[in-house]
Amino acid sequence: MSMLEVDGLRTGYGSLPVLQGISFSVEEGQTAVIFGLNGAGKTTTVNCLAGLLPVWGGEIRFDGKKVSGKDAQGIVKAGISLSPEGRRVWPGLSVMKNLELGAWSRKDRNKIDETVQMVFGYFPRLDERKSQLAGTLSGGEQQMLAIGRAIMSKPRLLMIDEASLGLSPKLAQTVFQVVSQINDDGTTVVIVEQNVGVLPYADQALIMEKGTITFDGRGEELEKSGELRRTYLGDAAAAEH
Amino acid sequence: MDVMAIEIVVPAVSGAVQGCVYGLLGLGLVLLYKSGRIFNFAQAEMGAFAAFMTAFADAGSGILPDMPVWAAVFFGMITGILLGLLVERVVVRPLFSAPKVTVVVATAGVFLFLYAIEGFLSGPGPRSATRIIDGDLYTNGGLRITNLGGIIVLVLGVLAVLSALFFSRTRMGTAIIAVSQEPTATRLVGISVERTAAFTWAVAGLLGAIAGILLSGTNGVIAPGLLTGLALVPAFTAAVFGGITALPGAFVGGVVIGIIEALAASNIPKDIMPGSGKVILFGALLAVLLIRPAGLLGKET
Repeated sequence: MSMLEVDGLRTGYGSLPVLQGISFSVEEGQTAVIFGLNGAGKTTTVNCLAGLLPVWGGEIRFDGKKVSGKDAQGIVKAGISLSPEGRRVWPGLSVMKNLELGAWSRKDRNKIDETVQMVFGYFPRLDERKSQLAGTLSGGEQQMLAIGRAIMSKPRLLMIDEASLGLSPKLAQTVFQVVSQINDDGTTVVIVEQNVGVLPYADQALIMEKGTITFDGRGEELEKSGELRRTYLGDAAAAEH
Repeated sequence: MDVMAIEIVVPAVSGAVQGCVYGLLGLGLVLLYKSGRIFNFAQAEMGAFAAFMTAFADAGSGILPDMPVWAAVFFGMITGILLGLLVERVVVRPLFSAPKVTVVVATAGVFLFLYAIEGFLSGPGPRSATRIIDGDLYTNGGLRITNLGGIIVLVLGVLAVLSALFFSRTRMGTAIIAVSQEPTATRLVGISVERTAAFTWAVAGLLGAIAGILLSGTNGVIAPGLLTGLALVPAFTAAVFGGITALPGAFVGGVVIGIIEALAASNIPKDIMPGSGKVILFGALLAVLLIRPAGLLGKET
């Protein structure tokens, strides 16, 4: 049994359908990366998994238990956490308060400080800026904070939407390395990404196009197949290859 | 007492007490503005509604039993909380995704609705309000501070400090600020945006009730729309003066504008400038908005 099973999932905004019944699964301990152009439905997928969008049809199972139909609160309690697109940190609260709020759903309040220290271990920069307001951080630091906040709930599945958007290639690699470390420490990871630089860290790779999944396989298979070139550069580029 | 004392000290002291009432009402306005960027036009009338319920319970009118004063005040405060919860559930929550201006206009609708209900229950004319305590705390010549005035100052001080501590020290306080800054992220960490909004409106209802009961007690009478006419705009001025998101600012702002209003009213002859208190007050509001828009205790953003 896979840790996360998505079966015929359909959703959208208002009456506008976006996901046309997608199915995929993610094994425990793996890193899965979802590639795709803007508007392919990547963010819609993770937002729906996080309980921000209603499920129109199909089912989401986590550890074999149905979680579709739960709201964001229920999903966090079930052990799934999302670092959303655009970071969405609380600009007027300190780094520390941002992290503490990330642990809102936890019952073991006395252990929250341990998790804060763990986050500071992953991102020493956040430790240096812990009393600074989040709105005054640089884009890269805000991304670190958004990921740090998402692991404060001690999720078993961490989803990150656009981890590298707006970051320099070097900073993007740093973020990918930390995410890979979080994965090595036992958290299953799903990353939505347009940056191909994440591929070496991907156990599983998916490509989405127009609300459907057009590729689902091992990371290294995707590298060889030329599918990424076709998706991002068009058919002509792939034929040349 | 010399002339100086009569013209300056007496109005300044009574103005400061009156200003505390504005501050008390302003506290509820600041709370709702801070948590949801909503200016609640119904804040004073919500307080008036609670004051009506207190007066009804005090007199034992209608189906209500004749209650002692403390029980009537308690009853009025509970009504205020329930009214806050009801407004959130029926008016504010369905408009969650609507532009803020829609919600603000809806609160004006709540004001008109409460105004009509009060007229229906009590009749259009004034009725005597519940005065929780009589007698004077201090008298000296023209200077007079009533016991009720003393209680108002005390209550406002305690509530301003408590609500500031609430936002800086408690989890719920932080959650309310988080909702106002970034609702999506707040949902994602497992905070119920609906529950925090309900809580905020319940507290605003309670603050409004306390202000309404104390203010109508100082007036001696209560009538539909009276508190809104007398105190809503000065309370708004107090909140803006103090910095619309700073809770202790409502306290400071209230006292400052109460003093300004009273000094102007007693020192500028009526034949030169009728209604001089309010004229100077709003002149001061304009000056603050032009020179220091973030208010006295507010932060520039």
